[in-house]
Amino acid sequence: MKRKQRTEILIQDGGVLAKELAEIVMQDYEYHEIEEPHYGLTMIKLRETAKKSLFYLGEVLVTEAKVEVHQSIGIGIVIGMEEELAKHLAIIDAAYRAELPETVEWQEKLEEVAKQIYQQKVKQQAEILKTKVNFETMEV
Amino acid sequence: MGYVAVKGGTEAIEASLARLKYDRIKGEEIVEIKTVLATMRPLVDQVMSEASLYAPFLAALAIKQAGGSMEEAVFLLRAHRSTLPRHYYSETVDTEDMFVERRISASFKDIPGGQLLGSTNDYTHRLLDFNLVTEKKEDHQAWLRQFQEQMNEHDADKELQFFPKVVDYLREEGLFETYDLDDTPPKDITKESIQFPTGRSERLQALTRGQTGAVTSLGYASLRGYGQVHPTIGEVRMGDVPIHVKHPYEEESDPDDLFYIGDVKITEVESLVPVNVKKQNQKEELEFEIGYGISFGQNETKAIAMSILDQCLENSHGEFPTHDEEFVLLHIDSVESTGFISHLKLPHYVTFQSKLDSVRQVKKGGTTNDD
Repeated sequence: MKRKQRTEILIQDGGVLAKELAEIVMQDYEYHEIEEPHYGLTMIKLRETAKKSLFYLGEVLVTEAKVEVHQSIGIGIVIGMEEELAKHLAIIDAAYRAELPETVEWQEKLEEVAKQIYQQKVKQQAEILKTKVNFETMEV
Repeated sequence: MGYVAVKGGTEAIEASLARLKYDRIKGEEIVEIKTVLATMRPLVDQVMSEASLYAPFLAALAIKQAGGSMEEAVFLLRAHRSTLPRHYYSETVDTEDMFVERRISASFKDIPGGQLLGSTNDYTHRLLDFNLVTEKKEDHQAWLRQFQEQMNEHDADKELQFFPKVVDYLREEGLFETYDLDDTPPKDITKESIQFPTGRSERLQALTRGQTGAVTSLGYASLRGYGQVHPTIGEVRMGDVPIHVKHPYEEESDPDDLFYIGDVKITEVESLVPVNVKKQNQKEELEFEIGYGISFGQNETKAIAMSILDQCLENSHGEFPTHDEEFVLLHIDSVESTGFISHLKLPHYVTFQSKLDSVRQVKKGGTTNDD
């Protein structure tokens, strides 16, 4: 599974699966924290819809960590103050870069959690859709 | 004006700080950060928007430390932001990817995808609810359980909906000018001071981090005749947009290898503004232009006012201050305006004494250095 989809699942899951997968790596492999989880900023670039130009919306606080596993460096970045999750994401990223055999087995788990997240969003959206309004104009 | 430093007063300042602490804690109540986050989200959103830093926990901490003072909380968060390194720039955010929680139009009753009221105060009675004086957590839990149960009853096998922009439909009808994607790298006013005349990216960045009250007041002034923009709202949408960043060292740019780092909540507005355009035959025709507004969090009034000011500043007009970019952009920043006004109460003894001396000279019938 590619990084974009993987990180989306691991972050939107709230870190439960990330913890489970990172602990497998930590148990079976040596790992080295290159950069402990630390705070930094990411500037958000956005395309406005009036003239389709780009501008900077503002910054968002992120937590970032870098970890080496099996001679591969992994990076974990997540919005907010999330030291543990950033470290777990970095370990998982390193595991994929190192092509550890465990990552093949993770595919199914990730897909299962992705399905749960998606279904939860569908339900949330259905609840929001209850506020869909149909105004009727009155005769004057 | 020249400035002269003052010294001394250490003991008085320390005693003053002790009184500040006393005032914050003398009621012997503690507001937990999680309480601010859970119950005062619009306040948190406003502080983040004006500080130009999306960090809900830090904004709530700033609100607690400031005792609820907006200007102080924004100042604290801006100051903290300046201590943090910026490691990344996001990939371009497209607001059509938003998980929409609210989406309304004042221009069209029927918009593709429908209008979603979401969570809003718009249709409340604005009567004080005295039940809140005695509300209990147990009551909330029962209500929340029921709400959750209702949500779980929905069919989970449907497709997730993403909503098209109302203005895109109008563009397809040829009612609005279409623009190609403009990938000109934006300027960053936090790295380089605003220079006049400004570019569009500078204006939008300055407006979106403007003080809510100031942006709203100037937008309102334009509506009342101190400007030439009176829009109808094409679309207000609020929800979460995903943020992605590139790997800092990998050279390949496969979009599937980006890092998703989380979502931020935003409010976005497109205002439809009628303008008279002179055509080749010298006849004036009515056309529409779009004013753009956006804000961190849910802050619709500010985003709407920003869309008015965006349109004002796109069309300079010497007669009206709201069309003057220097007037608007240099006076809406919370830290700059409250900082400057507030500094007036700090010691100005030397400069004021010199002015007093001048007045005394004049009263005595003498002349001043200015003569």
